[in-house]
Amino acid sequence: MKRRSFLSNVVLTSGSLILGTACGRKIESFPTETETGMAAPVSENRNTVLEPARQIPILAETDVLVIGGGPAGTAAAIAASRTGAETCLVERYNHLGGLWTGGLVLPLLATHAIDKNKKTRQVIYGIGGEMAQRLKDLGMSISEVDPVVDPEAAKYVLDEMIVEAGVKMLYHTWATNVIMDGNTLKGVFVESKSGRMAILAKIVVDCTGDGDIFHWAGEKYDEMQYHIGLVHRLGNIDRIDKSKAGYVEMALGDPTPIPSVNWVNMHGENNQDALDVLNLSRLQLEYRREIWESVQKIRQTPGHEKVFLLDTASQLGVRASRILDAEYRLTLEDTMTYTSFDDVIGVSGAWTTILYKGKSVPRQERPLWQIPLRSLIPKKTENLLVAGRCFCFERELVEDARIIGTCLITGHGAGAAAGLAVKEGEMVRNLDKDKLKGVLLQQGAWLG
Amino acid sequence: MAWIKRIMSKASIRGGITMLSILFALPLGWGGFTGFTIWLSPFVMLNSVFVLKSVVWLNGLAVITLVLIFLRKRWFCKTICPVGWGCDAVSLYRKGRGYSIKKIPPVGKWLAIGSLAAAFAGIPLFILFDPMSVFNGFFVIFSRELSVPIVLSFLGLPFLLAINIPFPGIWCTKLCPLGGLQDEITAVKNVILQKQVKEERVKTITSTGRRFFLVSATGLLGGLLLPSFLTPVGKRYLQPPGSVPGDLFNTLCLRCGNCIKSCPTGILSHHMDMQNKLSWMVPEISFIDGYCLENCNTCSQVCPSGAITLFGKNAKNRLIIGIADIKLENCLLAKNTECDRCKAACSYDAIKIDKTEGAIRMLPSVIKDQCVGCGACVVICPPRVIEVVP
Repeated sequence: MKRRSFLSNVVLTSGSLILGTACGRKIESFPTETETGMAAPVSENRNTVLEPARQIPILAETDVLVIGGGPAGTAAAIAASRTGAETCLVERYNHLGGLWTGGLVLPLLATHAIDKNKKTRQVIYGIGGEMAQRLKDLGMSISEVDPVVDPEAAKYVLDEMIVEAGVKMLYHTWATNVIMDGNTLKGVFVESKSGRMAILAKIVVDCTGDGDIFHWAGEKYDEMQYHIGLVHRLGNIDRIDKSKAGYVEMALGDPTPIPSVNWVNMHGENNQDALDVLNLSRLQLEYRREIWESVQKIRQTPGHEKVFLLDTASQLGVRASRILDAEYRLTLEDTMTYTSFDDVIGVSGAWTTILYKGKSVPRQERPLWQIPLRSLIPKKTENLLVAGRCFCFERELVEDARIIGTCLITGHGAGAAAGLAVKEGEMVRNLDKDKLKGVLLQQGAWLG
Repeated sequence: MAWIKRIMSKASIRGGITMLSILFALPLGWGGFTGFTIWLSPFVMLNSVFVLKSVVWLNGLAVITLVLIFLRKRWFCKTICPVGWGCDAVSLYRKGRGYSIKKIPPVGKWLAIGSLAAAFAGIPLFILFDPMSVFNGFFVIFSRELSVPIVLSFLGLPFLLAINIPFPGIWCTKLCPLGGLQDEITAVKNVILQKQVKEERVKTITSTGRRFFLVSATGLLGGLLLPSFLTPVGKRYLQPPGSVPGDLFNTLCLRCGNCIKSCPTGILSHHMDMQNKLSWMVPEISFIDGYCLENCNTCSQVCPSGAITLFGKNAKNRLIIGIADIKLENCLLAKNTECDRCKAACSYDAIKIDKTEGAIRMLPSVIKDQCVGCGACVVICPPRVIEVVP
């Protein structure tokens, strides 16, 4: 063999070997040690990542901080601000009213109940009552008892009231954790387009619905898995042609203040975890597709061609999730026996039939019921109040505790209590009950 | 001390027991004590035990009564029986003025023997003639509704008292099966005593012996043959949990109304289907606003005849009253209205709310294997679209 050909063979062989090794693939096990500059951010079983400690800018320092701008949170912020406390309201969506407006759960249940003289009377007063009155004045609600409102009108009215009350409003902002000093709540971390920031407050009102704040604060709670739905609205209801051949009557939901628009409730799947984002995403996809298909079916039915899907709710209809373990758990028995509390913050009504002592009690016979401040005060954490569907009640009461009216009442009570506590420089659980009642009555609340 | 003597005198004890019986018979919500005095009647007890071939603890009370009757002639009539007290009062008032009853045959005795013989064969023929049953039947007048069967039941006691006006003492001495039973026991006792003590044959036993045999045979035959004629007709209705099967229930039930008066949720009423006269006055369930409670067995505790078999509270999930049936046309969920009441009310997990056309239309349905027909869903349903079918 010539030297030249030997050399070129050697070069070719080694070259192809090198190329082969370089391009070859082999599945290696995951590196056990990180090769980046950060100190082991991924845990060994790859379930968690360590977040590096960092300095978080303080967005605001305020007297009362309300997390969540649903019916409870809005009422709480207005009530607190009206007592003179500097108040900040944090809302993750672009509107107030939560499930009432964005969730399209339009009826304000339950504005009326039976008093001790067996007469039906209004129970929802105070800030919730003001909201209902303003919507009525705008012509944007139907019926006196349990009014059904227009969601956009409600968003507008709530915005107006928040501005009038002088509440500092933070839209598009999501609370992500608590700032604790031992058992004392000092503020909340929030996340937004501006990044992660801290809001410090003397008192925080948890109106998240899911009780995110008391969960982070380490409070005990009951976790309820309930059905989750997604409400939608149909347009052109007034353009249905009943004279058309082949017309059949269909279930098209219930009327809203806008004559051409109906809202359609959805029961949805049972026993759903409202705290699992993967589950929520699955439901969201499934529900929107089903709503679309059902509307297509309606449109194909003779006479219904012009009906269209106006919108699906901007948030899933979560009915219940975390329920706080507070100083007092309100019972079904309390609501059936006119139990009166010395720390009453409001009165709510009932909207559905229940079984009580072996007999059914229809809505028309359900008594009004008082809500004590103690069922809004967590057992351990200081400077925290809870309002909305996650305050402390027993499961038998969930249908009446989770509704808009009750949220407005607990919200108003919690907001007024927070404002008064700041003004008096007092712990919420040591508040003078008569002073609180005075503030509430002055703000138009009805305490039974 | 004289007044103590007077209170302790026999008449006062009788009056006291009558007062107590009236209190027990009234719908006062005394739970397990409702109609308690019926448990003392040996005629009811023997019929019940002969039919059911089983006993409950409270049957022991009537056994004690039997022993006392054995020791003292007609002890029950003289001490306990409120009907006897009333009849005695009427008879005493009419003493010497009415017709003589000496020649009237002892019907009560034959009723007692015939009934017990038939009970062995399966049918307690004359259990309804028990004076305690008649006495309790009078108090149905306090029930909610009024109809022919109720009026008949109410008239039983006044009738018994009234026949003593022309024939003083006729009910207690001649017609009452409980009285007849006591006489028979005394007769047996005498036979035993005479055999043991005097060691001589009693003459009367042969003549009564033949009749005894005839009546028992008739009773047995009746008990065997009658059930085929007693098949319930008319509409089927809901019976209390633990009820014995239909035709037997109709004959065993005393119509005392104990279950109806003691039901804490008031779901029991007297059955009065005009077509089905055999079932008149037996308890019937109707779900108006109450349902059959999960942890309640009161009706079975107070049933002295065992027509409602005694059951434990934990057996409620096995005792089937009927099956719930949901008419979906008017169900709120079919119209997308917020509701989950039937599912929430069901303690037996027998109702599920499931997808029909996807999750957008969830509708309730009954899991037949789980449903006991307690009626909780029936009464809670806001549009009342559920019923329990037997």
